[in-house]
Amino acid sequence: MTSPSPKGIVEARAAQAHPMIALPSHDELVEQLFIRDLKQFVMAELEPAQQRIAEKLEAAIQPQASNDPVGALRGQMEQVGSFGTWLSLKRESQRQLWYAVTDCVERQAAELQALGQIDNPKGSLTIDPDFQAPDYITMGDIHLMPGGNAYDDGTLLQGAVMDRGGAVYMLGRNGGMLNDLRGQTAMAHLLTIAPDIKPDRILDMGCGIGTSTVPAALCFPDAEVHGVDVGGSMLRYAHARAEHLGAAVHFSRQSAERTSFPDASFDVVYSCAMLHETSPAAMVNILAESRRLLRPGGVAIHLEVPLLHTFGDLWQELSAELEAQFNNEPNWRGALSVDYAQMMRAAGFGDVRAGYQATAFNARLAAKKFGDTSDGVFRSWFVTSGRV
Amino acid sequence: MTQVQGAAPVLPRTPNRLDPIPGRRSLDDQTLAMIVSLASEVTILRARLDAAERLLTAANIFAPDAVDNFTPDAAAQAARERQRQHSMAKIFRPLREAAAIDLATLSSPEKVQP
Ligand SMILES: C[S@@+](CC[C@H](N)C(=O)[O-])C[C@H]1O[C@@H](n2cnc3c(N)ncnc32)[C@H](O)[C@@H]1O
Repeated sequence: MTSPSPKGIVEARAAQAHPMIALPSHDELVEQLFIRDLKQFVMAELEPAQQRIAEKLEAAIQPQASNDPVGALRGQMEQVGSFGTWLSLKRESQRQLWYAVTDCVERQAAELQALGQIDNPKGSLTIDPDFQAPDYITMGDIHLMPGGNAYDDGTLLQGAVMDRGGAVYMLGRNGGMLNDLRGQTAMAHLLTIAPDIKPDRILDMGCGIGTSTVPAALCFPDAEVHGVDVGGSMLRYAHARAEHLGAAVHFSRQSAERTSFPDASFDVVYSCAMLHETSPAAMVNILAESRRLLRPGGVAIHLEVPLLHTFGDLWQELSAELEAQFNNEPNWRGALSVDYAQMMRAAGFGDVRAGYQATAFNARLAAKKFGDTSDGVFRSWFVTSGRV
Repeated sequence: MTQVQGAAPVLPRTPNRLDPIPGRRSLDDQTLAMIVSLASEVTILRARLDAAERLLTAANIFAPDAVDNFTPDAAAQAARERQRQHSMAKIFRPLREAAAIDLATLSSPEKVQP
């Protein structure tokens, strides 16, 4: 696997990393690059000024005057004109992303649907049409993706939107078009704590379009690999994508809070960047479910975006609140502030670890670096793991 | 599983749950969104023009600096002048209208403060 180009998106169709991804035309690609650059501009050029404004306003807030200092800061920021413009442009850039990617996918819908017809698949797809997605999924469309994660119109197109959108959204920082560094990093963690493990069955909870699942199947070709998520369209796409990448994965539409798999039926259960899209109560259920599904000796791994380290940094806390509210990240603050080691122990795990795993491009070849310190966003991921 | 047959599939475009941004009028956000879309269109257009120029150069139809060295003749200059004025009037129409309304309000006799 090659490392991603610094700009992430390569302006050549031949450089696309897998045959299932929607291919942009000349104009669509420029549009997507524009959106990537606009997001970068909002982040790098506009946001630092807001942070400095927050620091100035913060200095004037009397700590004793309020027992809700974040709320107090927010109230003051809302009086600042550029704060509203920044927030508004930030959200608009996200809406533009989905709009542009949806254009690109709709144009080649027939082609993508045809690519989705897999004869003699190595894996499988099980879609329960009566599945009810949890409230935190349906209450607001996560990341503002129109239709939401649970969307199912009988096609795989929403999955194609998610894939192409993810590649643009991550600005090339997550493994280019494969967008699979989280899955690679989870597997690298597994090989760090259990170098000789030969799992028979592996489950990826909240697999999305399978970006985090395919690395497990490729890392452990003899294992039976499963992925669960809430959306029919995304799973249909995940299935086609995995088959095109030569990975055998069994996808099914289920909630990670309570799956239909029997007790003690997996050797490894993991999730990547799922918990922050759930709820505080669901996190507890999901950790318990990962415990229930494991055989003795089995390993659970939950990978998340790096924790909110500096509590008391009002701007960071306010940013998290804004992200949750305006980008529909239902459990952003919950997942970024919880004591994972304690939660894992409470779920019944032993040998509990919580720390930072160095980002891996290839789980087998990567340096097995895990410790207390983060190398920075996208260079390491927060990981908690435990054994049964 | 229903398949896409014939009819072009239509995916949703508006996400569920867009909280109002504090201090922003809906109109402000509409305007901003339109400007972003315009900036996007202009960027695409420029890239397309760049592609066209490069292709014409590669095909030896253009010299590499043909566009930069282009000098419009008198008729072309007049036409381009009209195009610029037309664009200006069209793009900044809202500002002119708003100023005209302010001026009319101030000039109407009832509004004049004693
Ligand atoms: C940010 S995405 C990450 C996808 C993938 N794991 C990766 O790392 O590329 C989080 C996924 O978790 C899924 N999810 C959230 N709650 C879930 C639940 N209760 N059961 C199954 N999936 C869930 C969402 O639908 C979404 O696809």
